[in-house]
Amino acid sequence: MKKGNKYGIHRVIEPLGVLPQPANKIDNNMDEIYDNEILIDVQTLNIDSASFTQIEEQAGGDKEKIAQIMLDIVAKQGKHRNPVTGSGGMLLGTVEKIGDALKGKTDLKVGDKIATLVSLSLTPLRIDKIKEIRPDIDQVDINGKAILFESGIYAKIPKDMPETLALSALDVAGAPAQTAKLVKPGDTVLIIGAGGKSGMLCCYEAKKRAGVTGTVIGLCHSEKSTKRLQELNLCDYVFAADATQPVPILEKLEEITKGQLCDVTINNVNITDTEMISILATKDNGIVYFFSMATSFTKAALGAEGVGKDVNMIVGNGYTKGHAEITLQILRESEVLRKVFTELYA
Amino acid sequence: MKKGCRYGTHRVLSPAGTLPQPAQRLDNTMEVYDNEVLIDVSTLNVDSASYTQIKQACGKDAEKMKQMILSIVEERGKLQNPVTGSGGMLIGTVKKIGENFPKNKLKVGDKIATLVSLSLTPLKIKAIKKLVPESDQVDVEAEAILFESGLFATLPDDIPEKLALAALDVAGAPAQVDRLVTEGDIVCIIGGGGKSGILCCYQAMQNSGPSGKVIVVEFSKENAKRIADLNLATDIIVADATNVMDVYNKVMEVTGGRGCDVTVNNVNVPSTEMTSILITKGQGHVYFFSMATSFTKAALGAEGVGKDINLIVGNGYAKGHANLTLNIIRESKEIRELFEKLYV
Repeated sequence: MKKGNKYGIHRVIEPLGVLPQPANKIDNNMDEIYDNEILIDVQTLNIDSASFTQIEEQAGGDKEKIAQIMLDIVAKQGKHRNPVTGSGGMLLGTVEKIGDALKGKTDLKVGDKIATLVSLSLTPLRIDKIKEIRPDIDQVDINGKAILFESGIYAKIPKDMPETLALSALDVAGAPAQTAKLVKPGDTVLIIGAGGKSGMLCCYEAKKRAGVTGTVIGLCHSEKSTKRLQELNLCDYVFAADATQPVPILEKLEEITKGQLCDVTINNVNITDTEMISILATKDNGIVYFFSMATSFTKAALGAEGVGKDVNMIVGNGYTKGHAEITLQILRESEVLRKVFTELYA
Repeated sequence: MKKGCRYGTHRVLSPAGTLPQPAQRLDNTMEVYDNEVLIDVSTLNVDSASYTQIKQACGKDAEKMKQMILSIVEERGKLQNPVTGSGGMLIGTVKKIGENFPKNKLKVGDKIATLVSLSLTPLKIKAIKKLVPESDQVDVEAEAILFESGLFATLPDDIPEKLALAALDVAGAPAQVDRLVTEGDIVCIIGGGGKSGILCCYQAMQNSGPSGKVIVVEFSKENAKRIADLNLATDIIVADATNVMDVYNKVMEVTGGRGCDVTVNNVNVPSTEMTSILITKGQGHVYFFSMATSFTKAALGAEGVGKDINLIVGNGYAKGHANLTLNIIRESKEIRELFEKLYV
């Protein structure tokens, strides 16, 4: 077997010298694998929601056309990175072959069912056939193969829940796991975008870590998600507001926290211009965790300086050790969340 | 006196509901609200990205540059460059203090530098007295407003004003290094040869101590030599920070394959996020001080290579940052001389 690079640089065709994610074309020849790769027999692609929405629009909702666009992307790039959004997604499949250099080092064995937690935007992929497209949940069943690099992260699919349910939760595994790390007993925590998929998981985890002496505040946008979150009973306070308008929210938070503001603020909302409320809601020396991909680096950096806030602002890292376990555990512990997730996303 | 909001929202003319920074237009009437300070401005230190843009747009013509600055302030009530979005800072003398501005912090006649951006500071320019296209410090006759939440530093007697201004401009970076770096740490400063880079190197050397390492990655040979001459690093790598694998291999060689505990990115060019992430060890910190950082490249990049590291957005403000930075100028004769030569 040929020796591979930990980060998969050996698969980059052009431009040379870059990593697989920014590369325009990567080698998706699966007949032979490198010594530190894992070959996966792919069953389902979970396309990133921004990417799937774009493809669906381009195809005018026509399934045949969606399939053709997807095949073209992979034919051109050797991976499923949407050329418009730049994003990928994840996949579900079965381990077919393990490189020699990984034997004894990995906890995987041939036949294990896994979800890859690295983006499809850097995963070598070959699609032989598109079998079924489920537009409601952005999932596509295929015949095909993919490669997981040595640095690639994955989760074994648990036996005690449906595969699609596990996949939908693992998609946002980073956020609740970071919440688990950041929130301490007694903390006041604000979750912005609390009614969405990752928001609900964060609320649950925040309340678990903050405990009875802590306070968890959920900020939602739509009436529907506000009502849903209230019924789930995960937070101490839930209210609806437009997160791009900081002043009224700040007044409300000052009232709830008696002027103390929040120790930890987690931003999950996928719209622009919510950096300022995240910063203003947080007390000095507190933490703002930006999980939203709509975050502007400069708005956050200059915004905090502009209002003289000494807060720690962290870029949401989709990966943290143990993130898959923490997230799946939430669905085991919380019957109400499992029910909502099954209804909405599985 | 009229009652003002802590963050200055009472000065926002349009669009309503926003804070002064994102606002299109501020009220620059120089009559103070109860929690504001009126400043008699002597010098504007225009942000370098903004100044470069103005200079290029005016073909380096000083008169045209003056006109452009005046018209920006005329239109917006603040000196926020409409293209770059950035501002800068100012020095001036306290002229009037609102009755509800926090007590005992300032008195009339104090010389101060504002540490909040000009992009949110109400400003009214009467005349531009001196503008040299080569220097981003512009002497003016003007007035400005500092909000209750606004940061400032009282200018010290022992450091010339303009030198203090040049150093305070990047005060956030060394102060954050002071918080992050502890004894024995391996620290990498990418873009260590620039203004904030030099201050970061100095602080990193102090904090990591004899058992630590400070590695500088610098693109320009001249800057690298300067760092070496000033003895501000234990190891210097001359490389292009956008070339991920080259920098990665060189840093791994220097660190014996361990990578860095803390990486500070000061480079003002795009696409250096991946380099910063790869050279940092698991559980380590990457501190992005560069305004060229892309949020998504950093977030997806770390996930893509499965790195459990702390990615921090550079906050220009940290408590005590002005003092710490001025102290570096006091402590290091070499840095003081260099800054006087380069930036004043």
